[in-house]
Amino acid sequence: MVTAFYIASAVAIAATIMVITRTQAVHALLYLIVSLLSVAVIFFCLGAPFVAVLEIIIYAGAIMVLFVFVMMLLNLGPESAQQERQWLNPRMYIGPAVLSLVLLIELVYMINQGLATVYSPTVVAPREVGISLFTTYVLGVELAGMLLLAGLVGAFHLGRRRERREHGTDTTTQAADTESSPNVTVGEDS
Amino acid sequence: MDIEYQALWPVIIVAITSIVVLLQAAITRRHAVALGLTIVGLIAAFIAVIGVGPLLPQSVGVLLVMDGFAQFFMGLIIAAAIVTAVLGYAYLRRRNEQREEFYIVLLLATLGSMVLTAASHFVTFFLGLEILSVSLYVMIAYLTEELAALEAGVKYLILAAASSAFLLFGMALIYAEFGTMQFGPLADALAAAEDLSTPIVLVATALMLVGIGFKLAIVPFHVWTPDVYTGAPAPVTAFVASVSKSAVFALLLRYFFVTDGYQFDTVMIALAVIAIASMLIGNILALIQENVKRILAYSSIAHLGYMLVAFIAGGDRALEAVAYYLIVYSLAVLGSFGIISLISPEGRERMSLEDFRGLFWQRPRLAIIFTILLLSLAGIPVTAGFVGKFYLVLAGVAAAHWVLVVVLAIASLIGIYYYFRIMAVMYARRDTPAASTPTVSLSGATLLGLLAAATIYLGVYPDQLLLLIRRLVLTL
Amino acid sequence: MAAIPLEHGLLLAGILFSLGVIGLLVRRNVIFILMSLEIMLNAAGLAFVAAGARWGQADGQVMFVFILAMAAAEVAIGLALVLQIYKRLQTLDIDLASLLKG
Repeated sequence: MVTAFYIASAVAIAATIMVITRTQAVHALLYLIVSLLSVAVIFFCLGAPFVAVLEIIIYAGAIMVLFVFVMMLLNLGPESAQQERQWLNPRMYIGPAVLSLVLLIELVYMINQGLATVYSPTVVAPREVGISLFTTYVLGVELAGMLLLAGLVGAFHLGRRRERREHGTDTTTQAADTESSPNVTVGEDS
Repeated sequence: MDIEYQALWPVIIVAITSIVVLLQAAITRRHAVALGLTIVGLIAAFIAVIGVGPLLPQSVGVLLVMDGFAQFFMGLIIAAAIVTAVLGYAYLRRRNEQREEFYIVLLLATLGSMVLTAASHFVTFFLGLEILSVSLYVMIAYLTEELAALEAGVKYLILAAASSAFLLFGMALIYAEFGTMQFGPLADALAAAEDLSTPIVLVATALMLVGIGFKLAIVPFHVWTPDVYTGAPAPVTAFVASVSKSAVFALLLRYFFVTDGYQFDTVMIALAVIAIASMLIGNILALIQENVKRILAYSSIAHLGYMLVAFIAGGDRALEAVAYYLIVYSLAVLGSFGIISLISPEGRERMSLEDFRGLFWQRPRLAIIFTILLLSLAGIPVTAGFVGKFYLVLAGVAAAHWVLVVVLAIASLIGIYYYFRIMAVMYARRDTPAASTPTVSLSGATLLGLLAAATIYLGVYPDQLLLLIRRLVLTL
Repeated sequence: MAAIPLEHGLLLAGILFSLGVIGLLVRRNVIFILMSLEIMLNAAGLAFVAAGARWGQADGQVMFVFILAMAAAEVAIGLALVLQIYKRLQTLDIDLASLLKG
């Protein structure tokens, strides 16, 4: 368990360094996901299985998917072609793949050890976290709900596409142009 | 575990109101109805704030504590939110934008601020701050057609999120060291600790101060202020300057008084340096601005510096002085940004000094109101600002912080110059015919008149408010 | 069985946090800045979980859940703003998007 902690830590640090040094947003995102997954392993080692699962489902799952969606929506024009070329370069895969593999081996090893014998004198089980959340911290849960409501209303308002306005029509046509241009080139090629 | 919720009615009412406005927007989009519901909800919350008086003080679980202190600041926050809503109505009516969401996020921001004033635990501290921040991102960037507003929103978001991360890391270190996140037990743990100057505690306190300092816009963390004040819609700027700062200052007061932050000499010295830097840099940079919103932004940095002088002094006198000054300051900034929001026509906001040239000859009443508010900010006698500053100085003198008091006096003198500069421009005659100004909404003008009247009243008869402050705030 | 010292958990959180700060400072693209913010918030959450593990309390994990909620709200609004700005300026460079003078 202790070894797992240190390996995961090393992976997390390495992946995070990669995140902040990448030039392509998608590559950085891949490394960020690796980093979050290794932090999940660390949570597990620290005796916090509940948040380890949350880290994977919500952080690496939901929040990162949000990033992916926005990157798709941005459709970064001429840069995206260049990005595509680099994307095909297998070297860009090696890093995230090796790091993920280390994590995977670690996870498999830990599961084989059996959860009951997993180290930690202070495992705080999901049950305890749940009880704590809905007794002592129930007001906090309500407030977190209001926080998410603010986020929801805000994202709705700020992310809205506007029609029947000058700016709106301009950008719509531009978006249509950029969307149609790859098709045109494809047509010319064929 | 049973938790007593009765004392929490003001917070609950504001939360319910936000959901009611949300549902109303889903059913039928009517701007006036949204405003009406918001105002009714806020007034109900205000009545509830007064109504819960006999129940106080009451701990709501471990997370919140409703006492006179929270009651006082909740009252201030709700009143300021009502003013913001009315100003926002007059402002949004002239804009081509979905309007109802503004009231939802305004109510949520108010909710977050109210939670901050009653927070007695890191969880509510953090959640209150975040509800406030997330709502503010939306309010600042509300006019999505304006690039300046979007940019201000992104800047505020990045810096606020970074400062929240610092704050959280500081909290985590304190929790790691002492094993509790509740202010009361934390104070016991701190008192029981033999050596308080361990690096981890100092680093943690410093990290938390980064987070709080950002929200208060005191000097090393002030860089966002001018951009956000200028880019945000004027009613939102009024809200950021008054409510958000009052709430965070209230929290800072509670945290430092309960956990006795005054025992950290290093922290107090750092705060003194921050106060001096805020007063001087804020005022000096305000001198060279040509934009009224920017002048007010830099001056707000200085005003927070003034309040820190009393805060550093500590004790009951400091609480009294800071509470009084926060009221005075909120009245003045709400009014000042209200003026800007009322005289701005559709499209561009009027905020350069030139826009104010000859305002007195066009709109004498608004100009007189603005004059009163500026005099109050400058701290001229007969206005509330003078009384407020007098108490700040008194607190500083009582604690014998002579350097701080002298800097406060010098900084105030510098401040007078740029406030009078705005006034001189307003009373000058224009050579060119002025651009047409929009019709000023009656409700907005009346409200600003009330703010100015309150400023004069509190300057002449400060006793009643002081008595109220002694009765409520000193319960901390 | 050897235990993981609390210091190492906090140290790791500290390292990740500083990397996040470096990213925040170095990058100019808003998307990268938002990622760096995520790293910082995640590191703060890690510090809470490590602290909670030290005391054997659920509080650290509870705080992490709230940080998660906050990070989600933050990212949602941040990315909505990114979309709006990109639509207007066709760039995500935070320095180019400087209409307001500091």
